[in-house]
Amino acid sequence: MSEDFQRKIFDFFAKNKIENFVGVPDSTLKHFIARGLEQKKILIATREEEAIGIAAGMTLSKSLSLVFMQNAGFANSISTITSLIQLYSIPIIFLIGWRGYLPSDAPEHTKIGKIQPSLLKLIGLRSKIIMEKNWQNNCRWALQQLRHNRSCALIIRRLSNE
Amino acid sequence: MNRKEAIQIISDRIGDEIIVSANGFIGRDLFEINDKENNFYMIGSMGLSSSIGLGIALKKPKKRVYIFDGDGNILMNLGSLATIGYLKPRNFFHFIFDNNAHESTGGQPTVSNSIKIQKIAKVTGYKIFEVRNHTELQKVLTKIKNMSGPTMIHIKIERNSKSSKRVKHDPIHIRDRFMRSIK
Repeated sequence: MSEDFQRKIFDFFAKNKIENFVGVPDSTLKHFIARGLEQKKILIATREEEAIGIAAGMTLSKSLSLVFMQNAGFANSISTITSLIQLYSIPIIFLIGWRGYLPSDAPEHTKIGKIQPSLLKLIGLRSKIIMEKNWQNNCRWALQQLRHNRSCALIIRRLSNE
Repeated sequence: MNRKEAIQIISDRIGDEIIVSANGFIGRDLFEINDKENNFYMIGSMGLSSSIGLGIALKKPKKRVYIFDGDGNILMNLGSLATIGYLKPRNFFHFIFDNNAHESTGGQPTVSNSIKIQKIAKVTGYKIFEVRNHTELQKVLTKIKNMSGPTMIHIKIERNSKSSKRVKHDPIHIRDRFMRSIK
């Protein structure tokens, strides 16, 4: 997704009461993260589980949070999502860069990229793929999920092999 | 000193402050000794009590946040020490109950006796204290009363496989009363 749209997505969430952006960097999301760093609103954690823990603490303090990561990090996080976020119903938006969407992506992404949609379904985390044509609707959907105390994921596909 | 005695002493001294407890026997002891609304019992997500506590400390800078952590737990999330040391939350107090074992899973050893967890914390920017008995614990609790964090209190405890009963609150109830209590 282009730089312009990723920056718009960051601004949209920042304007809509998301106060915390915690995560582990991903090249697919680099423009989103760059925008957040410019605004001094990004906290980079050492691992995805740590990021989720910090965001959970912030949300328990009534400050809404988004956690960003690559799908490899999402795989790291499954037990944390099921035994913390879902167990206590702590509403958080996950923004996940999807490597391995293209079968021609780098080899380390192929297997986890292929099962990414099934992983989301298996753990029952509602998700939507965001693209340039639908990002506003899907980001609004994510905010609605938070209002219902539900977590959800927004996925950005990696569409080039650069 | 065993884990339960240490938790009893600390609970008596810190009063009605926010506590985030690690999973396993630590949370169960806290539940049995000092159950209150602003305890967040982390019953899953091994290793993450320090991170959950960090999130709370950053958002509630006027409240003191106490973490009841274990050696097994913190060894799973050593990265959190780097993040905490970097952010330096002044209201963050991190107790490590170190029995050199994963007591809750049957007493298997950890590597904590061969390394110094508190020294790792020190180089990231924590203030640190080492405690081996009741008297030292009482002294340190008096000292930290007027101190700022991030502070680690490393407490050497004996193994004690006798466990308290499980936290009986439903996780959603733990969340709701915690959120209500911290305002």
